[in-house]
Amino acid sequence: MNNNVSSPIVSAPIASASSDWSVEAIAATVKDGMARGEIYTSQAIFDLEMERIFHRAWVYVGHETEVPEPGDYRLRTIGTNPVIMVRDADKSVRVLMNRCRHRGTTVCENPAGHTDYFRCWFHGWTYDTTGKLVHVQGPEAYDSKFRQDEMGLTPAARVGSYRGFVFASLSPEGPSLLDHLGGAARMIDVAVDASPVGQLLVNYGVHRNKYRGNWKMVGMDGYHPEVLHASVWEILGRRSHKTFRDTYPDDDSVATRDFGNGHVMLDSHKQRLRGLQTRLDDFRKIAGGDKYIADMREAYGERADILLAFGGDPHVGIFPNLQVIGNHIRVIVPIAPDLTEVHMYPTRLVGVSDEFNEHRLRLHEFFYGPAGTISPDDNEMFERVQVGLMAQADPWIDLTRGMGQEVRDEDGSVVGRISHELTQRSQLEAWKSLMVQA
Amino acid sequence: MNSMPMSAQAQRSVQQLSAEAQRSVEQFLLAEAELMDNHQYDDWLALWDEDLIYWVPCNSDDQDPKNSVSLIYDRRGQLEDRLARLKGKFAFAQQPRSRLLRVVSNFVVREANADTIVVTSAFALGEIRAGHETHYFGRTRHVLNSDPSGLKIKEKKVMLLANDSPLNSVTFLL
Repeated sequence: MNNNVSSPIVSAPIASASSDWSVEAIAATVKDGMARGEIYTSQAIFDLEMERIFHRAWVYVGHETEVPEPGDYRLRTIGTNPVIMVRDADKSVRVLMNRCRHRGTTVCENPAGHTDYFRCWFHGWTYDTTGKLVHVQGPEAYDSKFRQDEMGLTPAARVGSYRGFVFASLSPEGPSLLDHLGGAARMIDVAVDASPVGQLLVNYGVHRNKYRGNWKMVGMDGYHPEVLHASVWEILGRRSHKTFRDTYPDDDSVATRDFGNGHVMLDSHKQRLRGLQTRLDDFRKIAGGDKYIADMREAYGERADILLAFGGDPHVGIFPNLQVIGNHIRVIVPIAPDLTEVHMYPTRLVGVSDEFNEHRLRLHEFFYGPAGTISPDDNEMFERVQVGLMAQADPWIDLTRGMGQEVRDEDGSVVGRISHELTQRSQLEAWKSLMVQA
Repeated sequence: MNSMPMSAQAQRSVQQLSAEAQRSVEQFLLAEAELMDNHQYDDWLALWDEDLIYWVPCNSDDQDPKNSVSLIYDRRGQLEDRLARLKGKFAFAQQPRSRLLRVVSNFVVREANADTIVVTSAFALGEIRAGHETHYFGRTRHVLNSDPSGLKIKEKKVMLLANDSPLNSVTFLL
């Protein structure tokens, strides 16, 4: 290390413009379990990803409980679009472009808040929380061709919600939200039904991480924990004497699972069911833990065991930008080919003791976020990959681990061993299928 | 925990210590800063009281840690784990280690009695790692136990100016 500070990360587009990437060229970047490094480094590919994935497909925007009252809002992004998620007077959640219809100024600046209207302070145009343009400064200068009623804040073409999770699509056409989620919807259920009344609250605030790497690196990887998170296994081992292999045995009790459409999970429910008694004993050490277990059994009957085993942690990724992992909702926010933010929203279980929720919050903080014990090492590797990918003499990365060993489960999903790269292959197949639609 | 948020009143209050006592508090915090800059984890931990709170709020300075996520909210057990990790071979976000330099200033003693001193300070911290230079600014509120053996940190709250911004990894001591 010396004091000549310079960035080793240079985005060198392979093609000078997105138009240089034909559908055939894109299709050739992912094949036979291999992928070309350019899909992580190219500005042109990034621009096409915004157009063909983030500005078309269902993208997670936020949780309904972040805007509980009419007038509550949160600023979010859909790809490169700044949007406002707002609860309007009718109590429905809307997703509106944060862009004045006059000159394009943002109409809302605070990342979170409560308001009766959105006003552009450039020229005074004012919109209500449904997006309707309710005031134009000096309207007399416009002629009859100016239709104020058609000049509201542009809404996302489609907004859908599944159990409080709000998604939007900027395309008026495409599969329904439920068709898009497919079997992965059940994993959102696993997170929500960790509450005995089936409700999450997203009101703890947010960890915002950033790393100098591509958004797709967040991925879903069951191969890395033993190596990359060795420091965490060491400190956990200091207390529990558990090794990595105790948690992730190389057998069929932990698995990678592919729901299609790029939705994948690291599924350890069988292994956790085996250890359920220990888990329940741990719950009982927390004030309210006994009642929690009883309430879960009362609410969910036979399903309670598997929900308690999951503990609200399906470890699922919903392509392209949502993950539900540990005790948090994770949102992947692409900024540039080599810059990504990851926003983590810890969740609160409704109908559970304050102590139990606080315990979950403290666990989240210890593992995740910019000062956690896991996220920084993940981000470090994403940055190392981003640097390494600039060595393009041989541009292919290898994702063939376990290829051909997948089996189809009864529910139609596909499973592999925990360390198999089924998950990455599924995400990249979904990526490719969207990216080749010009 | 109610003592932790820096209320407007506490922020305004200024407690006069003797010049010698004030100087020893400032020297303590400067020595702490040097240990943090140099990643001297064991020596730094030795500055702490047995029962401790090391708190870095997230999203804003004044939070109820029971009801809002923190960047760090460590009691002794978690802090020992955190340091054990950083001292080990596998904390890759610190390989290579960050080069750190912080300037600590603006010392104001807010409360002082026979065994407790509350002191606030400000810091500007530069980090260089892997070819990138990152700047952090913040205010710190120390609750120090004062006994015949010297000062010990009972509570430390670090209010990063950027606590509501996206952050690169913070895997060094604040």
